Amino acid sequence: MERYTVGQGISRRHLLQGLGALGVAVGTFPVILGTAGSAHGQGNLGELQPEEKVDATLRRLFGNRVIKDGSNVIKLDIPLIAENGALVPITVEAQSPMTPTDYVKHVYIISDKNRRPMNAKVSLTPDMGAAVIGTTLRLGETTDVRAVVELSDGTLLVAKREVKVTVGGCGG
Amino acid sequence: MAEIGRVRIRIPPQIKRGDVVRVRSLVIHPMEIVQRKDGKPIDKNYQFIHKVIVTYNGREILQADTSQSISENPFFTFALKATEPGTVRITFLDTHGGKYEGTAEISFS
Repeated sequence: MERYTVGQGISRRHLLQGLGALGVAVGTFPVILGTAGSAHGQGNLGELQPEEKVDATLRRLFGNRVIKDGSNVIKLDIPLIAENGALVPITVEAQSPMTPTDYVKHVYIISDKNRRPMNAKVSLTPDMGAAVIGTTLRLGETTDVRAVVELSDGTLLVAKREVKVTVGGCGG
Repeated sequence: MAEIGRVRIRIPPQIKRGDVVRVRSLVIHPMEIVQRKDGKPIDKNYQFIHKVIVTYNGREILQADTSQSISENPFFTFALKATEPGTVRITFLDTHGGKYEGTAEISFS
């Protein structure tokens, strides 16, 4: 992927191929490179978001607030088919004057079928000049990905797209 | 894996005052995901970036709460209105107390 070859480091694909050649199961990848058996002892599983269905996530984040269809003002750039669920690029661009009285305050990226559906909450300011943010996601399986946009006046808008995932990116 | 915490930032070269530009950044980081045993998550001290802070000449212009659903070696891009020359600083914080920073200069052509 062009964006990733910023010039240094081993691409994840090459690393996985290398590990495969060594006979190491891909599923154990995080254990090898992560800090397994950390010196801290106690884990931080309890601090993560709960594993829950997306409806519970939306209720937890937005309560009973109405989320209006924002597909006419939100451009959600994400592939229809992701060959590698571990690297799914997403860009959210919301039309907004981005003035101190009228701007996009938050963008929530939510992937319905991930065990912990909320992937990121981005907080924006008018200094950005435009409400554009992007990153790459890990998707476990074919799923709807939603961008929920909260405006400075509290309005909630959503755009979503189904992304077909051929190889899941969430390991176990 | 290349050294954790190395930050790369790219800003377009020819900027005029007032342009809204796209800033691209990359940080080397494992973004550990939850492992499971017999279908249950294992309680470990997972290391992943959970916060991103962007400042422009010391003013915070963007903040993100991130999770393990962001890819390894996370890539972030965002818009920035180049109103004055100065420094864009991107700080990544992880769950192990790691703080990784990179800066890029904005100057007008």
